[in-house]
Amino acid sequence: MILEIDMAGDIPIYQQIRNQIVFGTATGRLKVGEPLPTVRQLASDIGVNPMTVNKAYGLLKDEGVIVIDRRHGAKINELPSADDGFINDNLTAEFEQRAALLISEARMKGVSQENLRVHLNILVDNIYNQKGEIL
Amino acid sequence: MIWIYIFILWLVYIVMTVSSLSYIKYQDHQILGVTLSKLNADNPEIKGIINSFKKLCYLILSFSMGFSLLLLMPFIRHYADFLMFFMMALNLFANWISINHHQKKLLTIKEQNKWIYSNKKIVTVDLNVSKVKGKSRISSVWIWIFLILSFIPMIFLLINSDMRKFYPLGFSFIGPVCQLLSTFLYYQMINQPSRIIGHKQESNLLFAQKYERINSTTATLTALSMLIFWILFSLSMLHIQNNFLIIVPITFLIIAVLTIENWHQKKIHKLEEAFTDISSEYEENIQEQESTWKWGCYYNPNDLRIFVPKRFASMGWTINIGRPIGKVLYFGTIALVFVVIIFLAYGGTKDYEIELEGSEMMIDATMYDISIEKEQINTVSIINQLPNGIRTNGYGGVNKSFGHFTFDKYGNCMLYVYNNVNQYVVIDLKGSNPNYIIINDKTMEETEALYQAINSWLSE
Repeated sequence: MILEIDMAGDIPIYQQIRNQIVFGTATGRLKVGEPLPTVRQLASDIGVNPMTVNKAYGLLKDEGVIVIDRRHGAKINELPSADDGFINDNLTAEFEQRAALLISEARMKGVSQENLRVHLNILVDNIYNQKGEIL
Repeated sequence: MIWIYIFILWLVYIVMTVSSLSYIKYQDHQILGVTLSKLNADNPEIKGIINSFKKLCYLILSFSMGFSLLLLMPFIRHYADFLMFFMMALNLFANWISINHHQKKLLTIKEQNKWIYSNKKIVTVDLNVSKVKGKSRISSVWIWIFLILSFIPMIFLLINSDMRKFYPLGFSFIGPVCQLLSTFLYYQMINQPSRIIGHKQESNLLFAQKYERINSTTATLTALSMLIFWILFSLSMLHIQNNFLIIVPITFLIIAVLTIENWHQKKIHKLEEAFTDISSEYEENIQEQESTWKWGCYYNPNDLRIFVPKRFASMGWTINIGRPIGKVLYFGTIALVFVVIIFLAYGGTKDYEIELEGSEMMIDATMYDISIEKEQINTVSIINQLPNGIRTNGYGGVNKSFGHFTFDKYGNCMLYVYNNVNQYVVIDLKGSNPNYIIINDKTMEETEALYQAINSWLSE
């Protein structure tokens, strides 16, 4: 999987690494059990401090996306089964808040309700069917 | 003697010309440091600029070589040490002007044709390539063996203490320090970020493996050349009294480094060409790189690296002056160069001042002043030829030699002589630090007068 990090962008680099690994895992570009590069190696390739990559890996570990083994390094965790709902109310609220904001932004840019539904359906379909690409 | 200096100057000029000419090769989406896509780089206008740059490079080389022959003129020879550096600086400046002028031309064509590339600073990393990094390189064991072997001259001097008069022990540290720098270069080269040429994992992997192999081979061969140079140099210092032969290891090092660099460039170029079809899918992702360069130096406070590859791919490394340590290193180096030039200009042109006052004799020379008492002097004699000897810590220029020297028969001496005058006043001293002071003046007559003056001062 290829990471594309915008060094001059507004999104913090650790957040970009975390986001892209989450997308990669959800869309199947990163397989379950696949090892990730070491913190030092990835930091050297991106040209950032190892603490930045360490922070991204820490977030991914806390979210259960990866598991970190002292001997074998970081690897992609098992995907939770897709028929469950959110684990708790906090996650539901957080997701709804973020999704509502995105939908509101689309509304402010003049996207029709119908058009937005079509886009969302394609996105959900791509991610859940692991088609490899988000869009 | 002057021809050795002219030969060194010519070598420097050739190295600078070869370096300048290598900037026009299309590498890392750049020609002369200007970002261009492969398609645009093949444009006839761009080709025309490249040809004009080539011609100017050869013109500067010919002119510089011809200009250096001025050193043969007697009235200029007096300032030869300083002039050599001035001529080198002039050649460097001329090459810089030429590069700058042609860069501007390229940028104008780019602007006229509206060849605009993304200004985004996107770093692309293939996770699969990152995972296997380091597995295709030449083992670091070789580098460490070379580093250990560079201590041989030092060990030899520790065992054979009598050789230290020809080859000071402190001097033998230079080799291991240079070898340590080669080791540093090796680790810098193998830790370069992997280049991504497309979306295909297999191609990225293959490219990265070959790229890593070429880089590590280059660094290992450079370290080996450095070791061979150091051993040859040490041998010439220990067993050859002819200073001219010291040029052999220096010439070897220059030729070896240029050959390795050329091989490295060709290999990388070939590799890039082999992957051209695949990399073309990344053409639209070419990023402008001009913004990270300021005053001709790499300036990127967001890049944590202190040493970064040069703007012209494969031309070695430069300092990131966007980082505080980079600034200190950069301006420190510039200050050091200025100190050397000032020392050369002052030391090379200032005459010795010999004063005989009361019971004290004072010799004033840049950095190597000495004063002795009348009672320290055993005898004073005059000779027409200096015995074989070498400089241990001093200045050896075209016109003058001064400082600490060791000569057969005399041992440790302080020397203050004009090289073109074959008459010397030898002052034999009590004690061994130094054993003798050897001086002369600008002409045979003046040296004779100096000898008489010292004798009459002694008899006062």
